[in-house]
This record gives sequence, structure tokens and C-alpha cells, in this order.
Amino acid sequence: MEWWIWPIALFAATFAMGIVAVLAGVGGGVLFVPIVSAFFPFHLDFVRAAGLLIALTSALSAAPTLLSSGLANLRLAMPLALVGSITSIVGALVGLALPTQAVQVSLGVAVLAIALVMWRSGRSEHPHVSRPDALGSALGMHGVYHDPALGREVRWQVHRTPAGLVIFGAIGVLAGLFGLGAGWANVPALNLLMGAPLKLSVGTSGLILSVVDTSAAWVYLNRGAVLPVVVVPSLIGVMLGARVGARLLPRTPAHIVKRIVLTVLVLAGARALLKGLGI
Amino acid sequence: MREHEIYARWLAVGTRIAFGVLVATFLVYMAGLLEPLVHPRELARLWVLPADKFVAASGAPTGWGWLAFLGKGDYLNFAGVAALATISIVCYARIVPALPRLHAALAAIQIAVLLAAALA
Repeated sequence: MEWWIWPIALFAATFAMGIVAVLAGVGGGVLFVPIVSAFFPFHLDFVRAAGLLIALTSALSAAPTLLSSGLANLRLAMPLALVGSITSIVGALVGLALPTQAVQVSLGVAVLAIALVMWRSGRSEHPHVSRPDALGSALGMHGVYHDPALGREVRWQVHRTPAGLVIFGAIGVLAGLFGLGAGWANVPALNLLMGAPLKLSVGTSGLILSVVDTSAAWVYLNRGAVLPVVVVPSLIGVMLGARVGARLLPRTPAHIVKRIVLTVLVLAGARALLKGLGI
Repeated sequence: MREHEIYARWLAVGTRIAFGVLVATFLVYMAGLLEPLVHPRELARLWVLPADKFVAASGAPTGWGWLAFLGKGDYLNFAGVAALATISIVCYARIVPALPRLHAALAAIQIAVLLAAALA
């Protein structure tokens, strides 16, 4: 097959992924790595690097608006991003050192686990935090934001900060190892574990992702794992698809799209697992 | 908070510039305006290899070696990729003076971590 067919196919596939990701409320990176590694000829190293850069660019693009509106908070993000960015370097180095088949099998398991988390995890709009923990208070992890849907200011604070730091350390390893983006894990950790309001969790998750993925992206870049012919068409495809997805969002039944995404993740995860096992 | 406004403003401008550079350099690459280091036909033969074997087989640079190949169509794209991966470092550096002491220290450590990843 001619080489130029692949970037065009990649653009078309990622454009569709960008649409579906917005409709299902997931990051493009989480769909990109399992699908592209399963159905395109590029080595997993290049796919993971591209996945990281997609997640990074999407997070960087969304963060300014979220920060300005108060839906992302720097003081909440900074300690968690610091831990995650250190562990994501470890994850990226381990991922590039491990045999491809081991990474492929782990990727399959991780994607199947993500599908399970997305299917099972609940969400709480405004979790009750009766008393903030000492570390969270010392780090200034509290504040107020304006919720336009409620038409009022929402005060927030967090608890279980030490556990949150440990979880974000583990999430960083996964982000660096698989290049999946980590919104699927960041949001439940902030919302259900630490008690941050859902909207603040979604916004701050993107901000954390933009820092965590930066450190892992440098590792892949320095090791020669970045191929522009994979990265750029995918980035443009996902970004344009996300714009179309945002327009379709009001008229699309979210639960059906989410079911489709879960099915795709299960299929792609199973394929990655079988490929890694040589079946 | 003032640091939010500063961070958001620098992030918005930085992302726009980096993404613009990435798209523009890719168009230069695809249009064949600059000779690539690895010809696309050769690339299609090598992209099935793991990164370390790809580097060995293609002579592709590692680390900051790509700077020496900015005159090549494929490696010109790395300017945009590196810019995307630098934005957060610049934004953190810019807000340090606006932060209280504890958070300024956290930001300084964060910058050190990102620089270590970039320079390692």
C-alpha cells in the first residue's frame, strides 16, 4: 500500500474519534492508542507518543477557558500534577524499555479496565466534604467558582489529599506508560476520592493532564519515538472532530454514544491483549 | 486569583503559536518543500520497528539532536512538537512571582521536573 494512504486514513479515523470522544465525554487519547495500535501499521512506541501529544494538545487548548471561568484550579492541580509528572517520566521510560509484547498485553488489560471504570464509576455533582484534611488546607486546596447552570457561587474544599497524591502518582505511571491521556482516572479521583465538585474535577483534570503529559512527551521525543506523519494528521483530525462533536452534542443521546465507546474500547482492548499474547 | 489569569493568558497564546507552527511545518513537509531526512517510502518500511531500532536503522536523531536537522522537512516539525511541550514550563515560570511562597516553591520544583524530562 502507498505510504500516503496511512496519514489520510489516520486523519479520517481521528476525525471520527474526535467527534465520538466529545459526545461520550472522554478524551481523544483514550480512544486513539487502542484503536490505532490495533488497526494501523505503526509500532506501539510511535502510537503511544502520538496519543500523549493528542491528550496534551487537547488539554492545553481547553485549559485557558476553564481557568478563566474558575472551573479549573491551579492550587488544586499543582501538587497532584507535580507527583503525576514525576511518575509519568518513570512510566514512559519503563514503557520504552519493556518488550513490545509486554506493553501490548498491559495495554489490553489497561483498556479493558478503563472500559470497566467508565461503565461502573458513579459521579457526584457536589460531594459532601465535612472537614478538609490538614495537607489539603495547607496547600490551599479550596475555593469558590461561579456555576452558571445553578446561577450561584459554589464553595469547595477537598479531603483525603494524601491518598489523592498516591493515586495521581499511579495515574502518572499509566499515562506515561500507555500514552492514553488520563481524564478517565483523574475525574473520579478528584470527584469521588477527594470530594471536589464534578465540574471543577473535569476542568482541573485537563490542567493536570497538560503538565503530566508534558513530562512524558519529552521522554518520547528525546528517545526518537515521535513521528510527525503519525502525530500531526491525528492531532488535526481529533481537534477538528472535537469541534464537530461539540456542535452535535445538544442533539445526540449521550448514553447511546457512551455504549458505543465502551464497546469499541472492549474490542480494541481485547485485540491489543490477543495481539500481545500472539493469538 | 491573579495567577489564574496570567497562566490562562500565556497558555492560550502559547498553544495557538505552537499549534500553528506544527500545522505550518507539516504542510512544508507534505508539500516536499524541504528534503526529509527519512524519505516517506523508507519511513513506511521502518515505522513498524520499535523506536530504538527505528533510530538505529534510519539514523534519526535522539535527544536534542533534531535541532541540527531543522533544515529537513520531517524534523522541522519537531519545532512545533517541542513548542507544545514547552508551554507549561513557560506558564509555570511566569506565575512564580504571583504565587505565595509555598506554591512558588511547588512551581519551581515542577519547572525543575519538566526541565529534567526535557534535557535528560
